[in-house]
Amino acid sequence: MAVSWQRRLAARAPAAVFLVEGARIGPVRETLALSPGIRLVDTPRHASVLVVAGDVPTGWRDDLRRIHDQLPAPFVSVWCCCESFEALCNPIRNDAVEALPQGVVETHRELMLGKRDSAPRLLPDEPPNSWEGLGDDGHGGEGMMGGTPYGRPMAMNMQDDLRDGLTLDTLTFRLGPFHSALPPGLQAEVSLQGDLVQTWTVTRKPFASVVEPIFHAARQEPVPIVEIELARARHHLRRLYRGLWIAGWPRLAERTLRMAGQLSPNSDIAGLRYTLERGGLWRLALPEPGRGALDEAQARQLGGPAARAAGIDDDLRSQDAHYRRLGFAPTCREAGDTAARWQQWLDEIEQSLVLAGQAARHDLKTAEADAVETPRGPWADAFPHDMSDLLGEVLPGLEWSEALLTLASLDVAALDLHPLGETRLPGPGHAGQKGHA
Amino acid sequence: MALLTLSFILLVTLGLGLLLQWLPARGSLKPTYPQRAPFLGGGSPDTHAWNRYHIRYYPMTLLLIAFEMEMMFMYPWAVVFIEKGTMAVMEMGMFLAILSVGIVYAWREGVFRWQ
Repeated sequence: MAVSWQRRLAARAPAAVFLVEGARIGPVRETLALSPGIRLVDTPRHASVLVVAGDVPTGWRDDLRRIHDQLPAPFVSVWCCCESFEALCNPIRNDAVEALPQGVVETHRELMLGKRDSAPRLLPDEPPNSWEGLGDDGHGGEGMMGGTPYGRPMAMNMQDDLRDGLTLDTLTFRLGPFHSALPPGLQAEVSLQGDLVQTWTVTRKPFASVVEPIFHAARQEPVPIVEIELARARHHLRRLYRGLWIAGWPRLAERTLRMAGQLSPNSDIAGLRYTLERGGLWRLALPEPGRGALDEAQARQLGGPAARAAGIDDDLRSQDAHYRRLGFAPTCREAGDTAARWQQWLDEIEQSLVLAGQAARHDLKTAEADAVETPRGPWADAFPHDMSDLLGEVLPGLEWSEALLTLASLDVAALDLHPLGETRLPGPGHAGQKGHA
Repeated sequence: MALLTLSFILLVTLGLGLLLQWLPARGSLKPTYPQRAPFLGGGSPDTHAWNRYHIRYYPMTLLLIAFEMEMMFMYPWAVVFIEKGTMAVMEMGMFLAILSVGIVYAWREGVFRWQ
């Protein structure tokens, strides 16, 4: 079959990938984002390759099917460390995260050149509910409102407005668990009035957050401070990358991610901080001062950088003799709002790089082995547990953009207590539901 | 003859428009029902997205009225101000000063800040 010039052009273009992140997969989004020949997109509509990476619980397969069938033809799905749908004949599996980008690029090329068939549709091509519309416009009621076209009522269940008393129709929907602006696994029932969040109820908790193996090793034996501090800086830079991506600053996000991959004790983020400040991130993108603020009890419950951004100087590194020898003191901010938490990331990255530089000169290891300050929070007798229910208290009253950036600033998932690569026995729930203080 | 020419131009334009619309869509598959559903990251909506939405444009309205009133008065004023002389200039100055208060108020309310 002759290959048209359009197919050849399409095969040469970057593969548009929509990523579904499952449990215990690590920084696969970051790996794909930096891979040449791959362009991560935020909706299935813009993708030609669906990558499902990490374990997806059985009960969540309907959500995944909905996403699978929203990709326009021709498309393929690639499965990494996850069981594929039985309905797919010859599913493309690639369990090695390192080899995943190359595999995706090749699969996309074959698809565009017509050497591979498009994946089949899994859902029937019919309306989700039967048509029940009546009246001139099919809405089924009088005037503009009323009726249940396609089995769903019109949005007219009013709640009191939180902003200025102008009550509008309340739009209620479930967002997630595979939305790129939300922590992987988080699903929430959201009610909006216009662009204002009225209610936010978590219906599925996010998958547990995976930290680098060095933090797990630090619970067993002394580890080089230079390595653990670089891992901490890398973790915060990756969180910053996700936040910047959601804020709509893709180039700066990519730069942040590249910096995370090239960190050394001599690295410096002054240039990045300068670009963020001069570029107007704090002024244009982030919510105004006081928005998304946590009170002291909430900040203390969340722990880690979020607590320090609210002026609570709790940090397990203060109890480590070798950190004290390096002159360590927790860096804090006072406001406790969304902008303060973003600033806190930058402060802590800078502090970690300084500590790494000093520790490299003195070749120091941690002194304490039974308690470690992870990027998510303190891990001693207790560990950071799931705090996603906190979102229901913080997000209502914020505009949609503010809510997403506030959500990006909060690390609410539980800490996964097992390093990647370690086999875990299957439990009754998924990882995010296992955390307990 | 002119009417015939106009009709011909209209028909050709309409034909070209329809052709341009049809060419890219030719042979492409119609989106399936699951594709037409709103993307919610796997979630589903409870209600239709067709809802009453208020964009809260009060400050913008205020500014529009301020400038519009200014222009409404300035057009007739421009016709007569040479004839009326200094008196007209002073009257316009007072009028603009009052309107400026509205603009300054709008500025204070953040109407010039892009959100």
